[in-house]
Amino acid sequence: MIAAVVPAAGSSVRMGRPKLLVELNGQSLIGRVVSALRLGGVGHVVVVAPPADAAHGPEIAAQARSAGALVIVPGTRPAEMRDSIELGLEWLAKHDSPRSVVLTPGDYPGITPAIVAQLLEYAARFPDRVVLPSYNGRRGHPIVLPWRIAVEVHSLPAGTGINALVARHPDDLAELALSDHAVVTDLDTPEDLKRWKERQERLRVQVRFFALAKDRAGRSEIELELAGGSKVADVRAVLAERFPALGPLLATVLIAVNEEYAGEDALISPGSRLAVIPPVSGGAGDFSRVGLCLARQKGAFRR
Amino acid sequence: MIEITGSPIDYAAVTERVRSPRAGAVCTFLGTVREFTGDQRTVALAYEAYAEMALKKMAELEEQARRRWPIIELALVHRVGDLELGEVSVVVAVSCPHRQESFEACRWLIDTLKEVVPIWKKEIWEGGREEWVHPGLHPI
Repeated sequence: MIAAVVPAAGSSVRMGRPKLLVELNGQSLIGRVVSALRLGGVGHVVVVAPPADAAHGPEIAAQARSAGALVIVPGTRPAEMRDSIELGLEWLAKHDSPRSVVLTPGDYPGITPAIVAQLLEYAARFPDRVVLPSYNGRRGHPIVLPWRIAVEVHSLPAGTGINALVARHPDDLAELALSDHAVVTDLDTPEDLKRWKERQERLRVQVRFFALAKDRAGRSEIELELAGGSKVADVRAVLAERFPALGPLLATVLIAVNEEYAGEDALISPGSRLAVIPPVSGGAGDFSRVGLCLARQKGAFRR
Repeated sequence: MIEITGSPIDYAAVTERVRSPRAGAVCTFLGTVREFTGDQRTVALAYEAYAEMALKKMAELEEQARRRWPIIELALVHRVGDLELGEVSVVVAVSCPHRQESFEACRWLIDTLKEVVPIWKKEIWEGGREEWVHPGLHPI
């Protein structure tokens, strides 16, 4: 079994408000992290919450619980993150010591079930190693520790943290390089939060041009930044503005999203591969048959 | 067999690939570069493909055709790049137990391929004028 410990007892000094309760897409930050761990394949998710008499302590505990976590409420606020982790590990030791433990702070907003699942898969291949995700060479979270290494936390000298534990085992590390900045992105300050929200709201997509559209646009591809929630029709509007030379041609083309013809109201998601498809050489010119295919496939574009 | 290639297509070899002792009929269609369209004279053709999507669409055509006809083997091969007069731009080869189904499947495959697979052709007319062929699009 794989368990996780999420230290969530901090007082969010730099954020100026309880950051784990910040709502992102309708879910509290702590709830998002717990859900990602659970959906990614972690069995027990142990959240170490602030004490019951701390401001917002009970709310953080409630949010974690409703997302499926087991919540430990300490009598007094743990001094360091490492102390919270020790409390979580003690709880796990008393119940059933897991094979591995996932550690992640509660303030990583971009951690997804997919990231967690990838890390667990990697940890299954290297069960005796410390699995660390990295992005552009920077190490991040969540980390996966074999139980035998996790329990060494108790013997760390005072004033040292999990980094010291990792540093003790330089030969037991398995680093997993990921292309998602989420593993190195935490939220400490209001500026962090603002930057993260902005990043979420922008959609970056690649658009390729073919045949006459390529000649008119004067290039074979472009990267576009779109507003969140953009649809195929919005892409057309952006292209018309950026490439006046495409002009009336735009009204005759189809837009493909991820190698499929897409309807005008299909939503664009980040990283989508778009293409401008002028009428193909043997067609009737009205894409009548494509239209039929499209009607059948329409559901596929609505995610 | 589904392929987009920049080299001349060996249509005899493609036909050979779909032959089978279980087949009673093999139908091969060749699309070739025609010199005259009306009274306009072509000196060469250039084909361009959105290869990732074209291969995906061609695979879908194969799947749909196999559902409609008792196809034994099937090959769709499209050429891209610059082609001279008379060269083969596309090959559809189908083997079936009987001739009627092989004719029908072959015809449906080439007709549908030309409508839905994102591959475009550019005419290079006598005199050097170049023109993308986009049916339904008036000269603009």
